[in-house]
Amino acid sequence: MTNANPAIQGAPRGKALSGFLRKSWVLIFLALETIFFCFRSEGFANLNSLQIVLFYGVLVFLLSVAELFVIITGGIDLSVGYILGLSSIVSIKIIVKLVALGVSTPLALLLGTAATLLIGVLPGLVNGWLVAYLKVPPFIATFSMVGVCHGVSELLINGVYAMGLPKLAADIGNGHFLYVAPGSAPVLFQRPEVERGVSVLEIVPNIVVVTAIVIAVFVFVLSRSRFGRHVYAIGGNMDAAIRAGIPVKRRILGVYATSSFLASLAGIVYAFMYVSGKADAGASLLNDAIAAVVIGGASMFGGSGTVGRTMIGALIIAVLDLGLRMSGTPTFDKYILVGVILILAVIVERYMQEAA
Amino acid sequence: MDGESAAKGHEGFLSTKAGRALATNWAAFFLILMLVVFSLTGRNFLSIVNFQNVVHLQTVPFLLAVAETFVIITGGIDLSVGFVMGLVSVGAAKLMQLFLAGGMDPLWAIVLSVLIVLPASLLPGLVNGVVITRFKVPPFIATLGMFGIANGLALKISQGYPMTGLPDKLPDFGNGYILYILPGELLSFFVKPANFPYARIRELARFVPYSFIFIIIVLAVTAFALKRKRFGRYTYAIGGSMDASLRSGIAVDKHLVKVYVLSSFLAGLGGIFNVLQTGIGNYTTFNAQYEFFAIAAVVVGGASLAGGKGRIWSSAVGVLVLAFLENGLALSGVAPFYRYIAVGVLLILAVVIDKFFPDMR
Repeated sequence: MTNANPAIQGAPRGKALSGFLRKSWVLIFLALETIFFCFRSEGFANLNSLQIVLFYGVLVFLLSVAELFVIITGGIDLSVGYILGLSSIVSIKIIVKLVALGVSTPLALLLGTAATLLIGVLPGLVNGWLVAYLKVPPFIATFSMVGVCHGVSELLINGVYAMGLPKLAADIGNGHFLYVAPGSAPVLFQRPEVERGVSVLEIVPNIVVVTAIVIAVFVFVLSRSRFGRHVYAIGGNMDAAIRAGIPVKRRILGVYATSSFLASLAGIVYAFMYVSGKADAGASLLNDAIAAVVIGGASMFGGSGTVGRTMIGALIIAVLDLGLRMSGTPTFDKYILVGVILILAVIVERYMQEAA
Repeated sequence: MDGESAAKGHEGFLSTKAGRALATNWAAFFLILMLVVFSLTGRNFLSIVNFQNVVHLQTVPFLLAVAETFVIITGGIDLSVGFVMGLVSVGAAKLMQLFLAGGMDPLWAIVLSVLIVLPASLLPGLVNGVVITRFKVPPFIATLGMFGIANGLALKISQGYPMTGLPDKLPDFGNGYILYILPGELLSFFVKPANFPYARIRELARFVPYSFIFIIIVLAVTAFALKRKRFGRYTYAIGGSMDASLRSGIAVDKHLVKVYVLSSFLAGLGGIFNVLQTGIGNYTTFNAQYEFFAIAAVVVGGASLAGGKGRIWSSAVGVLVLAFLENGLALSGVAPFYRYIAVGVLLILAVVIDKFFPDMR
């Protein structure tokens, strides 16, 4: 959608350059930002930083893809943050219960995750039903869901954090895909025993691998599947979509369910990362998720946006976050800068489109 | 359900005077119904002290709901009000700290800080308005950006802690009452009895907080401006049809900037009141969600997010509905988590019920 720009095909070289700039300025911004922090923050210019950026970015990556689906249809989902919180609690409760019933730990983790994902779709189904069938504005429907998820979460934990996950969960959540100890063969998943002081090379956190796979699936869903085509069509022109025979209501239901599913997955990831669950775990991530989508060039009016560009938007925020932390600035600056970048991104995007 | 039965007799019932009154003011009727029910179920619900407290504690939500009403009528949205409020609150607190450290008289420190932050509170709205009108950034994005900026600035000023060490006169303004009565012993206007034994503080009855007068003036002035003045006519016109407003010669951009400036000014008033009421500078936390609750109140009051519809007094009723729902459930012994859920359900009901009634304002 955003790439449909026939004007630059076969244009002279100057035009080609401006076309490149127009299409890729977000990527260029990300590159410049990364280079800036390489100089600014000591120890940032390091492959391990990249892993850390990705590790701490996964929650925003998942939530921003969730938000992207909804925003492409011209809607908004304010509930993703609290669905994340609810799922972090639900997953822990289920897993702890299963372990207490004597189910083996790996099986309990697997069953708990599956059950939480199933439960996690419910808020989205309700959102979608309210939006598509009862014509409640998405803003109101999903904000109400914030209240419901918050309430149910507090009901489940009664004022304390959900805790008690088996150690294996923390190992998965904070472990890496591949370990290389000096002088021995690489090991999958299991951190090799080494003497004190010997450093083990850790390659790609597990949760980053999981997130990458899931996001790859949703890249496919959005760009190649019929569902994805319908989502763009609905956001581009609702009337035309209805006249073209697209089951608009069912698709909108599907979109909010997808959003809720991804938020719920993020909740499980949160539980495995931090080995605890709380109602407002994702409260502050909502703005980052929306900002990532918008910085990635999606229009709030719907019909445009891709997972790839949304990921670049999310990376801009993730790099900013780690870069600022490593340069010793308080995280407060991050909120200001994300706000500024968010507004500038929309202005620049518009300028680039008009210059075309 | 009320709405459904009313909808069935659409034509006949709604054309009657009573029907129209119910349709346009269902939130008010719902509020009355709620007050009756909670009076029966809630412990100590039906008392002047409780009512006074609930309304007094809603001063900031009232201000934010008024701000949101103007913006929503134009078809926009202002997500930044909650954090602008927090920013003004810590800004005023910072100034007071500085002035006090400079040896200034506490009263002057308060007055001077307020005089400085009040004009400053116009700035976020000015930026919002200019970004929205000149650079054509959707209101949702522009104000979400300001949401982050105001939040970051507030945290920078306060360093993430509530700001204490302010003049201890502050609550005299924010929590002052017109009438203090100790039954059979003393009666005092405006001044809290001095040298009052702390152990007997619960016997002291206080009536009519200053905040009532303040908020009634704000509501009356804004309602008058919205209903009777050109400012209000333009606001409705822009929300009703942007094109028609442009063609009829309304300076739409200029007016929108004014609306966002008004919104952030009201948020600023909220921030100042917050300092006066609590005696400390509070930054806004993420899960406070002031802006969303303000928007919720406006929607419960019958405004449409599509614009063109909404009234100040209805929004005020919306604030009271949300406040008494929470207070009433709490005093009826309902656990707090159900109250979050209840607010969500009520909000959905408000929108669905609104759909049964024809658009009218």
